[in-house]
Amino acid sequence: MSHAPALDDERPTAAAPQKRRVSANQRKLNRAAYLFITPFFVIFVAMLIVPLGYAGYLSLFESRLIGGETFAGFANYVRALQDPDFLASIGRMALFFVVQVPIMLGLALFFALALDSGRARGSKGARLLIFMPYAVPAVVATLMWGYLYGPDFGPIAQIARSVGFGTPDFLSPENILGSMMNIVTWEFVGYNMIILYAALRAIPSELYEAAEIDGAGQFRTAWSVKIPAIRSAILLTVIFSIIGTFQLFNEPSLLNTIAPDAITNSFTPNYYAYNLAFINQELNYAAAIAFLLGLVIAIVSYVVQLNEQRRARKERSGA
Amino acid sequence: MRNAPRTALKLGSVAAAAALLLTACSSSDGGDSGASGDAITDEQREEALNTPTELTFWTWVPDIQNEVDLFEEAYPAISVTVENVGQGAEHYQKLRSALEAGQGAPDVAQMEYQYISSFVLSEALLDLEPYGADEISGDFVEWAWNQVSPGDETWGIPQDVGPMGNLYREDILAEAGIDEAPATWDDYADAAQAVKDETGSYISNVGATQAGQMIGFMWQAGAKPFGYDGAETVSINVNGTEAKQVADYWTELIQADLISTDVDFNDEWYQGLANGKYAGWLTAAWGPIFLQGTAESTSGLWRAAPLPQWSAGEQVSGNWGGSSDAVLATSENPIAAYELAKFINHDEESALRLATEQFLFPPQLSVLEDPAFAGQQLEFYGGQEVNALFAEISETVDTDFEWLPFMDFVYSSYEETVGTVIAAKGDISAALDEWQTELTEYAEAQGFTVE
Amino acid sequence: MTDLETRAAVTVGAKGGRRSPFGRGAATARRFAPERRRNWMLTVLLWLCVLYFILPLWWLLVSSTKDNSALFSTFGLWFGGELSLWENLQTLFTIRGGIFTRWLLNTVLYAGVSAVGATLLAAAAGYAFAKYRFPGSAALFSIILGAIMIPLTALALPTYLLFSRAGLTDTPWAIIIPSLVSPFGVYLMRVYAADAVPDSMIEAARVDGAGEFRIFWQVGLRLLGPGLVTVFLFSLVATWNNYFLPLIMLNSSDLYPITVGLAQLQSAASAGGGSQALFSTVITGSFVSILPLVIAFLFLQRYWQSGLATGGVKG
Repeated sequence: MSHAPALDDERPTAAAPQKRRVSANQRKLNRAAYLFITPFFVIFVAMLIVPLGYAGYLSLFESRLIGGETFAGFANYVRALQDPDFLASIGRMALFFVVQVPIMLGLALFFALALDSGRARGSKGARLLIFMPYAVPAVVATLMWGYLYGPDFGPIAQIARSVGFGTPDFLSPENILGSMMNIVTWEFVGYNMIILYAALRAIPSELYEAAEIDGAGQFRTAWSVKIPAIRSAILLTVIFSIIGTFQLFNEPSLLNTIAPDAITNSFTPNYYAYNLAFINQELNYAAAIAFLLGLVIAIVSYVVQLNEQRRARKERSGA
Repeated sequence: MRNAPRTALKLGSVAAAAALLLTACSSSDGGDSGASGDAITDEQREEALNTPTELTFWTWVPDIQNEVDLFEEAYPAISVTVENVGQGAEHYQKLRSALEAGQGAPDVAQMEYQYISSFVLSEALLDLEPYGADEISGDFVEWAWNQVSPGDETWGIPQDVGPMGNLYREDILAEAGIDEAPATWDDYADAAQAVKDETGSYISNVGATQAGQMIGFMWQAGAKPFGYDGAETVSINVNGTEAKQVADYWTELIQADLISTDVDFNDEWYQGLANGKYAGWLTAAWGPIFLQGTAESTSGLWRAAPLPQWSAGEQVSGNWGGSSDAVLATSENPIAAYELAKFINHDEESALRLATEQFLFPPQLSVLEDPAFAGQQLEFYGGQEVNALFAEISETVDTDFEWLPFMDFVYSSYEETVGTVIAAKGDISAALDEWQTELTEYAEAQGFTVE
Repeated sequence: MTDLETRAAVTVGAKGGRRSPFGRGAATARRFAPERRRNWMLTVLLWLCVLYFILPLWWLLVSSTKDNSALFSTFGLWFGGELSLWENLQTLFTIRGGIFTRWLLNTVLYAGVSAVGATLLAAAAGYAFAKYRFPGSAALFSIILGAIMIPLTALALPTYLLFSRAGLTDTPWAIIIPSLVSPFGVYLMRVYAADAVPDSMIEAARVDGAGEFRIFWQVGLRLLGPGLVTVFLFSLVATWNNYFLPLIMLNSSDLYPITVGLAQLQSAASAGGGSQALFSTVITGSFVSILPLVIAFLFLQRYWQSGLATGGVKG
């Protein structure tokens, strides 16, 4: 129906002969297919799988500054599951996910729909401008927001003071998570908007033209035609947001230089793993944390997908 | 998926084994020109300095290329590549990664005093005694030399130091009715009150997460928070009597809102120095020039004085910052590398230029006594001979202050336990107890014997 | 907030029957302009939101025209003090022997090469997954998808150690090779190729006696055009903005990309480094560093617009 991305897309298009017998022709096609994926896979294996395997191997050892490396089995994993810092960082990211991701994706969807509806003036320019922050490196984005948040010279504080609101403290330990959510939202709304917008443009126009002729208003068309049609694209942005959230690293690491008292070493799981490896010199433990983090991400993504599938099934059977 | 990890594991173990082998090799042929223990002969030195050699030097001292040029002029056979791989923590991380990988480490690396023992622990540094380091030990202030040579070995050549003093705005203090820099900490507390009442300024700022400054205060108070025997035993006592005395002092001032606790070295803090939010800065000998560049608009209004004292009439100070240049054990040209580290910090011209052009505060006696350095009158400080003052202070720094062989962790743990409490204007003494616990736990988990 | 309102309104409307949720107003308007009519409320709302996205960039532009003292003494969102843009640029491009230019060129090189390579690799793999049914394809594809979930930062040190073994650290390859892997690109190309390249066309080419590789090269790639631009742009941005990988892999400042260089300048600014306060230089550098990408997006806008439009028609 559309080529909007679908994560549970399990259908390799059949261009090959239908018979299951492996013919000479089929063998030739297989060979071609393998040749096509080989360059990618060689680098993929070398750059991702091998380091991953190496890290997995490392995670089974314990290394001390005195006494060196010893085999530890799953001791690092056991330790991680009891590590309050690690668990707290996962919890913090869960909160981040629950609060920030809906806001970000909600905004992205709103913009995508608004642009797609063609009812706003200058939508081309708006689209580009909303997308622009995505082109700004996290290094620069964090630096910029760091200045904007500044309590003495930041323009936000300047404005707040001049209208009598006092000085907002964006960089205090209580507020830093919110400030970080804002930075991430600023950076990625445009990116998600583009994905959703592309999916919207791919909806066969007959579909909603029919609805419009039917007399459905813009909002209703959006809600009952457009959103369901791009559901898989929305799911994709959700999955990306899960991954992005749980892997947050640049923002905490760069904010740490301006608000070291607010950003703890274990502020995000990924930042924690990095600090364990480089500050605490507990590389093996860091590897175990990284693995567990990957697992958490996989589980959360899986649950979200499962939920979505169940809902889709229910709706289909309900209809 | 099933096969991939197994292959990877095999590959991984091969890599790990190779790493071990390589490290083993490189550390053994690190002494190809002279087995450790035996002193290097003049012939060996001659030969090494006349053989075409390439050295790599990791440092973040700005414009150190000038001094390196002097070295290359003196020894044309040797060419040096200077790399700035990052400042502080980043620099050490990269160094460790390169050492771990067994390649890519430089021959000579800048090394702050407090990090030396962590690299000694991993046997990454070359003992410079056989190369002639003992001959020059007398040319440096004693406590600085102790920092690079806590035992029989010498691990680096001192480059700069940071004995602590008090920089203050004379005009603001005068406005509060204070004509002289406070001599004791009690005076300082009174002055803080007066300055706050009369001018609204803070007498100074204690950086919430600035472990270096706090440790400097402890150093002055005679605390011995850290100790390391060079092998497997460490002593940790960050919550001892003297340390707590320091902690309680600052807790009181901070809670009375007489001292601010802004995070230092960021733009807001710079402006605080420039616009009179802080009427002073308790800082190290590298501070005066630094401040001059930061708060240009207040030129002439600043003065320098020794730190306030715990008991009247005493003259004691602590140290904050400074570094040495160390030779890595993996260097294939240890003699030339040693000569570079030595030349940069010991050659008269080079050392003087470091002090007068890069404004590193010198540990070299010759420079400290040189009128070209000590006699400099800084307009920013109303023509005061600030260098001479800090040279005097340098003499009063306690000579045996030690560090732990895992200072990265010590600092990051400080941020977590003490830094957050300072920022929240809490009880610093209590935070020290927590810091103590964290440090002890870490040390024990790492296999150290904790005294 | 607005989105929630929208939803509520839509739900009410949907339940209330056929009428448009905004009632008469909307319905009347429709009669006047049955085609695409503008909605001023939406326009205002949209542009208010746009403000949020561009104000920080506006601040960056304004600040890059200020010197250090104006930076801290004037209102952040408007020009003030002397116009120092030129001085800032001069400092920026002359500091440390003009190394900033070098960083810019490095970034262009790394990002350009990586993006072209990643796009080609992803196109070939995605095309294969979409258009061939071969043993193991499903398993391989799910491995690729799974790989997106690996937190790469945590693998930094293992990766570094392996790279070092291969003698690749502190070379451009340490940045380029890992950036060639774009699992998302493969995914995107697969989805795109599935629809954009009709099976019938491939069959026809086969009947004509074209080899598989030629079919991909001459038929596939052409049809994949807009998809390629998309993957290219996303890979370009990913490498351009990458901070962590070069931070770990590179030691020579001559090889730094702009992100790492800026971060280093920034930390030099914070640490004072003698007597230089570099804040305005860093800010100007930040501003300059985002210009190329912004321009690239503006310039390539036509392409990705046409790509998106093509997608719309095709669907």
